[in-house]
Amino acid sequence: MIFAAKKTFKGGVHPLENKHYTESCPIEPVPTPRQLVLPLVQHIGAPCKPLVQKKQTVALGEPIGRSDAYVSAPIHSPVNGVVKDIALASHPVIGRTTAVYLEAVPEENPPRIPQPQRFDEHFDPGTFTPEQICTAIQEAGLVGMGGAGFPTRVKIDPNPAMPKHTLIINGCECEPYITCDYRIMLEWTWQILAGIRLAARAAGCQTVRIGIEDNKPEAVKAFEQALSRCRCEEDIQVVVVKTKYPQGGERQLIRAVLGKQVPTGGIPPQIGVCVLNVATCAAIAEAVVFQKPLTHRVVTVTGRAIARPGNYYVPIGMSVQDLLAHCGGLTERAAKVVLGGPMMGFAIADLTTPLTKTCGALTVLTREDVTEPKYARQQTACIRCGRCLAVCPEGLNPTKIAHAVKHFRMDRAEQYYLSACIECGSCSYVCPAHIELAGYIKTGKLLKAREKKRLG
Amino acid sequence: MFSQIIVSPAPHTSQNLTTRRLMADVLIGLVPAMVASAVFFRFRAVLVIAVCVAACLLSEWICNRLRRKPNSLGDLSAAVTGVILAMSLPPAVPLSVAVIGSVFAIVIVKMLFGGLGNNVFNPAMAARAFLTASFGAAMTTWTVPATIDSAMPTVQASNVEAVTQATPLAWSKMALKGQATPEQVHAQLKDVFWGQVGGCIGETSAAALLLGGLYLLVRKTITCHIPLAVLLSAGIFAAVGRLLKPDVFVRPDFHLFGGGLMLGAFFIATDPVTAPLSVRGKWLFGIGVGLLIMLIRVVGEYPEGVMYAVLIMNAFTPLIDRLCHTAPVGGKPHV
Ligand code: SF4
Ligand code: SF4
Repeated sequence: MIFAAKKTFKGGVHPLENKHYTESCPIEPVPTPRQLVLPLVQHIGAPCKPLVQKKQTVALGEPIGRSDAYVSAPIHSPVNGVVKDIALASHPVIGRTTAVYLEAVPEENPPRIPQPQRFDEHFDPGTFTPEQICTAIQEAGLVGMGGAGFPTRVKIDPNPAMPKHTLIINGCECEPYITCDYRIMLEWTWQILAGIRLAARAAGCQTVRIGIEDNKPEAVKAFEQALSRCRCEEDIQVVVVKTKYPQGGERQLIRAVLGKQVPTGGIPPQIGVCVLNVATCAAIAEAVVFQKPLTHRVVTVTGRAIARPGNYYVPIGMSVQDLLAHCGGLTERAAKVVLGGPMMGFAIADLTTPLTKTCGALTVLTREDVTEPKYARQQTACIRCGRCLAVCPEGLNPTKIAHAVKHFRMDRAEQYYLSACIECGSCSYVCPAHIELAGYIKTGKLLKAREKKRLG
Repeated sequence: MFSQIIVSPAPHTSQNLTTRRLMADVLIGLVPAMVASAVFFRFRAVLVIAVCVAACLLSEWICNRLRRKPNSLGDLSAAVTGVILAMSLPPAVPLSVAVIGSVFAIVIVKMLFGGLGNNVFNPAMAARAFLTASFGAAMTTWTVPATIDSAMPTVQASNVEAVTQATPLAWSKMALKGQATPEQVHAQLKDVFWGQVGGCIGETSAAALLLGGLYLLVRKTITCHIPLAVLLSAGIFAAVGRLLKPDVFVRPDFHLFGGGLMLGAFFIATDPVTAPLSVRGKWLFGIGVGLLIMLIRVVGEYPEGVMYAVLIMNAFTPLIDRLCHTAPVGGKPHV
């Protein structure tokens, strides 16, 4: 076994995992905060329009934002409360956006406690038709909870032009620090499994593969036991993949599990594959069986500069500062507050920023974690060492792209396949000159999008 | 309270590796060879190394001052250039020549091109080429290592009066010209491996260079591609020659351990700035260097070819980079 090549992709990096802060913390509910801010953009696709007005009372689970576009997901209220305002709010990814401000009385909103025990091996996905499943997923406002935030319905809707045959479940959690998926894999195994089977039924996939990194043997065991108890080992199998960043990237995971490569610029359905994150699967089960919209999610609060790290079941829309306060606040050593993990997360300065559907972690890094050259932002000259090329999981030439973007040569950047970058950040991570390669590439993509808009 | 909190693009952490650390590792990798040179050439070697390093550091400092750029001595690349240049000079080189070489390397080859990362040619090798062209005599006077007495074969360099001690490559040249048999030359192999022969300050001891090169590989300061490509291509070239004409060609191991090949393979050709970026490019580059070294040694007028081989391939680096421009893993996008 030792010599058997582990399933993986080419390239990648091995950042310090640092999962020990929270990997043994069970998922805990948090008290409902007084104010929640729900941005109307929490997914990729058309932004929602508000369905509520100022001073209107809303009930838990009531939709408050919706769009008629196909690629979109409605947004629901996580509390019983009153709409205080509809105004701009900080958004971790797109800067500022319209949001619904809700006011809630904590006494009327007891903390919501996850109830995964409602699912077991007797669950039968056959009681729901594929259409029912798809509609329920759409109505619940499900989006990919691993970070990308693509509406789940769009992903699993059967498409006759590109039939899907394999469903891959992403349980890699390759980002350092984050343990929310790990905890739900241990604690909500049955619920995830129910969601997987529903999704497979809706998407028409016969084969299901659950990809888990080999640093999570407990999770592998939990799934293998559950699978043998519900006798679906035939169709659903756990695939252990190598622990490496970005193993949980969609294209990398498909490569590792199936040995197939999604074409550059293409999408997984082109090769008949659909990838869902474990947290999304858990939400699918709730949405379809109990018609519960996506209003809460597990968020890992972690890092050396946090007094009480842990995995919390948080209402979406809670502000970063409220959650931090619940976890004992920041210590003096905090140098960076990151929504998401250290490799792909978004550093924020405004602690009133709300948590969204796609945010699985709040990582607070100290100066040592950030490393001194990165903290001081000392970018030195590229010494052409080639490390960034060696680690790029997409086989790109990050230094050439970054240089092209730096000089606004978008044509040159595209010659080096700017848009094929998955923004994993491996290149910036290894660069001895500490050049923000991924940062330049992201800027390049923005510039390109702007140029395209301008040219119509 | 949280005045320390900063915002910057992802990723928010990095491998604890800096340019300075890489250069420091190269310097550490050169330590065995420096020790060997101090053993064989005594104080003279130490002096030349010190003079070159000091001259390089000072020139870089002055350049930065004149161009009103921040001080860049901290990245240690000037020190590396100094040591490598000193290593590739003959021990008897006049100190003034060493200083001229150092200034040329830093000012002309490195800083005028834009400093670290922008130079096209390896500064140490370009400076050495300049010195060879300008001070031919001083650059070909080889001293006898202090650890042996002058019982070794000597040759009279045609253009100088001084009695010089033959380098391993001069012997192999003699074999090629029929002035000695390869077997006579092979008798020196042990000395050539340990470094008890004439030659440039840092190139004589293949053992010390291998040790340092191994250190660089273990520390992942360099990847194995370029050294392997150089050693394999040169070795295969020499082996083929030996098979075809055993009466004039010396054995491949003699070629690998003799002259500057080890120094070149592990420390000079691997200079990241002047080598290609991609793995495939690095193979091509290394093979080019190895073959050119052997071609110059066997066919050329010079006994040694590392310097010109590296410089020629440096010039090809942009072309190689362009040749090795490959499609992403998912194939070319359809646009
Ligand atoms: S270029 Fe893009 S895909 Fe490649 S390592 Fe950098 S961020 Fe990742
Ligand atoms: S890793 Fe950094 S220094 Fe090395 S080639 Fe890439 S950009 Fe240049």
